[in-house]
Amino acid sequence: MKIIATFNIKGGVGKTSTAVNLAYLAARGGSRTLVWDLDPQGASSYYFRIKPKIKGGSKKLIDGKRELDDMIKGTDFDNLDLLPSDFSFRNLDLVLESKKKPTHQLEKLLKPLSQEYDFIFLDCPPSISLLSEAVFKAADILLSPVIPTTLSIRTLDQLKQFIKKEKNKKIQILPFFSMVDRRKKMHLDILETMPKQYPELLKSAIPYASDIERMGLERMPLGGFVKSGRSIKAYQDLWEEINLNL
Amino acid sequence: MTTTTLNFEFPGYLTANKFLSQLADKANLNPVSEHYTLISYYDTFDWRLYRSGIICELNRSQTVSILTLKNLHTGQLIASADLDSVPKFAKEFPSENIRNILAPLLEMRALLPLTTLECTRKFVNVLNKDEKTVLKLMIDTFEYIPCRLQLTPIKGYDKAALKFIEALIRIGLVESNQPPLIDALKTQGRKPKDYTSKLNVKLDPNMRSDLAVKYIFSYLLKAIKINEQDTIAATDSEFLHDFRVAVRRTRAGLNQLKNVLPEAETARFSHFFAWLGQITTPTRDLDVYLLDFEHYKKSVPPALREDLNPLYDFIDRKQKQAQKNLASKLKSPDYIAPLIEWEEFLRSPTIKKPTQANALLPIKTLADKRILKVFRRIIKDGQRITDQSPPGELHDLRKTCKKLRYLMEFFQNLYPENEIKSLIKSLKHFQDILGEFQDLEVQEITLKKFSEEMMNEGIPADTFLAMGVLIQTIDKRRRQAREAFQTKFEEFDQPDIQDAFHSLFGC
Repeated sequence: MKIIATFNIKGGVGKTSTAVNLAYLAARGGSRTLVWDLDPQGASSYYFRIKPKIKGGSKKLIDGKRELDDMIKGTDFDNLDLLPSDFSFRNLDLVLESKKKPTHQLEKLLKPLSQEYDFIFLDCPPSISLLSEAVFKAADILLSPVIPTTLSIRTLDQLKQFIKKEKNKKIQILPFFSMVDRRKKMHLDILETMPKQYPELLKSAIPYASDIERMGLERMPLGGFVKSGRSIKAYQDLWEEINLNL
Repeated sequence: MTTTTLNFEFPGYLTANKFLSQLADKANLNPVSEHYTLISYYDTFDWRLYRSGIICELNRSQTVSILTLKNLHTGQLIASADLDSVPKFAKEFPSENIRNILAPLLEMRALLPLTTLECTRKFVNVLNKDEKTVLKLMIDTFEYIPCRLQLTPIKGYDKAALKFIEALIRIGLVESNQPPLIDALKTQGRKPKDYTSKLNVKLDPNMRSDLAVKYIFSYLLKAIKINEQDTIAATDSEFLHDFRVAVRRTRAGLNQLKNVLPEAETARFSHFFAWLGQITTPTRDLDVYLLDFEHYKKSVPPALREDLNPLYDFIDRKQKQAQKNLASKLKSPDYIAPLIEWEEFLRSPTIKKPTQANALLPIKTLADKRILKVFRRIIKDGQRITDQSPPGELHDLRKTCKKLRYLMEFFQNLYPENEIKSLIKSLKHFQDILGEFQDLEVQEITLKKFSEEMMNEGIPADTFLAMGVLIQTIDKRRRQAREAFQTKFEEFDQPDIQDAFHSLFGC
């Protein structure tokens, strides 16, 4: 089982659409896949038309009183399940803090699922918090969407520094360009110059596209309503490239 | 995340469309697709998959062609793979998963199509108020058999599934894991497991012997005829095997149950079945070498294994030629005419006042007499064999054992099941060592003969070296079998086995 977290300190950079679309591709390729919607906004739950509700909320979940497996919902797609969000996830930090070794909690909860799934995608809320530290501890890959703007690059630096301080050697950070608008000169400039400074940057980039935005209307992953096109191809390339890094 | 499916059968009068319209106000149904589908069922001639609780079906529609293996009793999926057409043998399946499941079950037997059902397959999803799928349905409509519904619940939506199932039951659907195959076979007047090579002749102990014997021979004739066409076609090696077993049993019956049927016919047909045994021997012998070849390879050091491949090719060529000769003989009047006469003879009414001494004896009396006599002969002959006795004596003893075995199998239904089965088992145990000894001796001689023939074919020297090693290992095993004979015979020649034979068959 590989755990992939889609993470960025900034919001609105395409974390959820990345988690949802890559999970869809993994499942379509035959891998047993789970998306865990850790964001209290519940966007990935929304994309799968699943109610963002966990009985007993974050406290019961972290306490381990209910098996994680009991809260998992099947999506409309084969091999693809979702662990929904809950509004109480906004207090996940507080719940974690009340536990011993708070940063080990997610890893502990996910362990029993290792036989059940080949991939688990953690769709994380923005910001750096105790929850993100627990995510870093549990995940094998930190997939970080970066919009080609100066501010986004700054946050990538912050993230890298943070992980370095944590001395977490297991996790692999894989940043990639997201919401790339080829009409914007700045995007093109950064696309050109940044890979030289950041060799870990993946080559595949996700465009800023209306069909990706339509996911909110269709309430399903891109592949559920679009059979081909630039966006779908971009996610396929990204997924292939990630697989090479596994 | 294994998915459990639930299977339902429609009441005969209910069509898929009526069913969906009845549900329309109870659930939010979303038709996904509809395909004309052909479901073909496969198994070996002797139902190896069905006997192991597996249903093998190839589902073909315009868009997909999938092979599925399902549990016969629960209807759950065991494995599936995309597949355009079903190969004959397990080792030929491209999917490793399927191959691994099938190989130990099928062994050398071919997978054959049983029947094909045409169906209209509808996929319908049941949605909740968020338009999220909470259940998946697959409805199959057939022409002559009731519709089937396969329901796949979605994880985390158990309540919705339960509510839906309640509605199904109210409409009249019944949970059933019985595959449509059973109904399809019924429409053809067939049922599963309708072939086995095992003998199961039901006789009345007081039946006239001539009638009972004809009854046994008719049973064996059926086995000969049922295996005949695929023996000619060489569908797999076991058709010929079962064909030969039925021939051998018939011949043993004719020779062992003397003075029952008219002498002239007994002699004539005994001669015919001896000939039939003979003409089928070369192909079967070669089949055995090919079937055992992997075993041969494993018995020589790894470095020599590949050197044996030319031997395989040589035997394979010989087998193909032998099979061709056999097929032409089985299509010739030399075979067809006497077999028809045999069938007519068996069908002809028995003579009211037969002159044969045993014809009117109750069959149980004749069975008792013959079984005990052959048993005593085995004990007498076996006791005479010493470590110095020539192989021919063991060979003769083996043949006598086979005769006893056939007699016991012909008449097994006349005796308490447990008692006769246990004696057959003891005999079989003893027979095994005789069989092994004989087979290894023949193999040693034949391999030497093959190597002489192969000399003229420009076969690499390494092959002869490997064959030499193979012959050595066979020789060693043969000597071990010879040494084990005395112990095995002593195990069979026990007072308790003697007593059991006398009390069961003693007149």
